[in-house]
Amino acid sequence: MLKVEELSKNYGDFVAVDRISFSAGKGVVFGLLGPNGAGKSTAINCISGLLQPTSGRAFVAGHDTVAESKAARQKLGVVPQELALYEDLSAVENLRYWGKAYGLRGDALDARVAEVLEHIGLADRAKDLPKEFSGGMKRRLNFGCGVVHKPPVILLDEPTVGVDPQSRARLFDLVEAERDAGACILYTTHYMEEAERLCDSLAIIDHGKIIAQGTVDELRAKLGARDVLQLSGSFPPDATRHAMEALSNNGNHDLEFVSQEQQSITLTLSNASQHLPAIFEAVSVAGGNVSETSLRSPNLETLFLLLTGKELRE
Amino acid sequence: MSFALSSFKKDIARWRQDLMSTLIWVAIPLLIGGLITALMSGQGAKPHGTMLLLDQDESLFSELIAGAYSAGELGELISVEKTNIEDGTARINAGEASGFLIIPKGFGDAFLNSEPVTLTLKTNPAQTILPGIITEVTEILLDAGFYLHQLFGSEIQAIKNFGEHPDDALVAAMAVTLQNKFEAVAPQLFPPIIELSIVEPPESDPGTPLAVLFLPGIIVMAVMFSANGLANDYWREREQGTLRRLVYAPGQLSGFVIGKALAAAATISFIGGLTLALGLLYHGISWVKLPSSLLWIAVSGIALFAWLSLLQMSFSSRRSANVISSMLLFPLLMAGGSFFPLAVLPGWIAVVGRAAPNGFVTDRLTAEITAVGTWVIPPSSWSIVIIAAAAGLLACALRLRSGFASA
Ligand SMILES: Nc1ncnc2c1ncn2[C@@H]1O[C@H](COP(=O)(O)OP(=O)(O)OP(=O)(O)O)[C@@H](O)[C@H]1O
Ligand SMILES: [Mg+2]
Repeated sequence: MLKVEELSKNYGDFVAVDRISFSAGKGVVFGLLGPNGAGKSTAINCISGLLQPTSGRAFVAGHDTVAESKAARQKLGVVPQELALYEDLSAVENLRYWGKAYGLRGDALDARVAEVLEHIGLADRAKDLPKEFSGGMKRRLNFGCGVVHKPPVILLDEPTVGVDPQSRARLFDLVEAERDAGACILYTTHYMEEAERLCDSLAIIDHGKIIAQGTVDELRAKLGARDVLQLSGSFPPDATRHAMEALSNNGNHDLEFVSQEQQSITLTLSNASQHLPAIFEAVSVAGGNVSETSLRSPNLETLFLLLTGKELRE
Repeated sequence: MSFALSSFKKDIARWRQDLMSTLIWVAIPLLIGGLITALMSGQGAKPHGTMLLLDQDESLFSELIAGAYSAGELGELISVEKTNIEDGTARINAGEASGFLIIPKGFGDAFLNSEPVTLTLKTNPAQTILPGIITEVTEILLDAGFYLHQLFGSEIQAIKNFGEHPDDALVAAMAVTLQNKFEAVAPQLFPPIIELSIVEPPESDPGTPLAVLFLPGIIVMAVMFSANGLANDYWREREQGTLRRLVYAPGQLSGFVIGKALAAAATISFIGGLTLALGLLYHGISWVKLPSSLLWIAVSGIALFAWLSLLQMSFSSRRSANVISSMLLFPLLMAGGSFFPLAVLPGWIAVVGRAAPNGFVTDRLTAEITAVGTWVIPPSSWSIVIIAAAAGLLACALRLRSGFASA
């Protein structure tokens, strides 16, 4: 349903999206997980036709988004990261206007708008203006405007940003309902929990490049059952690395030295809590000291940390 | 095209909620207009103009006529300046004077011998008031001269014998007295044999009071304020993200642009129509002027809206679009006859003003409102405005496509 081939977008010399490829079928939620500035919105804007890709192609329901842009657009629903609503038109007028923009008319329009209003939980606020809505309600209406024409492919750009937990849960329900109805959904987020909960498969993107791709289980398996241990303090560069490697060779076979920053090091190993005393000792023998310890069980966030050496969210 | 209709309804529904700014667009021109009209109706400013005179006859009677223009109250309005044929023709054609009167050689003798003779009066078509006054005065003088001759022919002959150059003061005094005296009896007597041929008569009814000439400019001021304010709506839509959503939809850009232009035309017609109706009512002008004037306002409103939209969309931020377009508005309004009627603006400003888009619109609206008939705006002017509107809307759609909507 959605296919992206070697898509790139440059801003002058800066490469915002660097030859990304992926595809997703009917009834699938495909996640694009990455930190701020990774290129998620840029990728979505290239697919939606807002931006002209520098190279590569994208297909929506088989239509090239550049060569057959009109046909592709008709099949595409976009829920942009920033709200795009007429604040001075009621909820129902917003939905009706965008329904008409996609060619819905008459009874079909009436029925679909009523359905969407029910679906996004705004049926009783249909006549109210969005400027009187809460943030979560606006997000839901923003979602509704993107799907009012029942598109087979939906692009969702961080739909839950700045939303309270209750509205967030509602938005998840909305995404799942569209998926169950057979839509193909591209979902971008920098929340690992969202990706884990919603996405059937996903790509992790950083600096415009896809650095890992697969189902949630496949990606977890890359991590094994290892915990991620992050130590802060002072660490003489080479001595610490050697000490950790020595520790690894002396029995802790799955200990891996992942990265070293100025005042922190990152390690992975299984059952990390049992090995903490040995690790602390090795650090102090190497001439360093530990002021803070953070131990995390394996998840996509730690996978991102392992792949890039930095946090998903700064 | 049905999306154009949806877009039209959408914008009308949105703008209706912002009634305050709509009212301000009416209020400012009405306030300015009210002040000016009040000033004009009071003892206020009178126009002052130059009448060029070429006296090829240089007889007593030609001097009588010349003296009459600068006598009494008339002298406050008109200065008479003697000139030659080349200078006079050049200056009246350049619009530098209100009128150019040529008294031909032999006028005095023809007058004395009751032979037909023709005076030539060229008036400035760009001015309305002064040429009218000059024309009227000339006609009265000729009437007076004729009856003077009928009744006092022999006395005049006697006065003539006083000499080639009689006392100026005497001549002037005589002119005024005779004028007043014979104005009263003239209508009952025979028509004069001296004919006045008026070259290039004023375009509009010479009876138009000056205050009425302010009305078209005030209406166009309201049109410009509202068109510029509404043009800023493209920025508003961009900031609230709805332009981006428009790009997501397949091929609806032109319907969107046309719908917004129609909504702008409706709003502008409402504002311009309100100002027009108040003006017609205040000045007691016939309502038959309403349909043609209103249609002109609506069509030229679309053109002005389209080009102001394009102007606003060419800036890199909403703030600079707002500030610079407002700054541009005032010189345009000034030159285009919104603060002072085009007819009283100094020569080169009036030329620039008439060429400015709003001045073009004001000029035609003035003609429509002050003319004796209706639908006097020529088809060529209608065509220009319609073509400008279409071109402006096309340019707006292209500007949206070329990136304004996607940013
Ligand atoms: N118009 C532009 N000109 C130059 N650089 C741009 C432009 N738009 C985006 N960028 C850069 O491209 C990179 C990717 O931006 P993008 O908005 O796609 O990130 P994102 O993954 O959506 O981030 P976020 O999670 O914050 O929404 C960023 O470094 C950004 O600064
Ligand atoms: Mg983004």
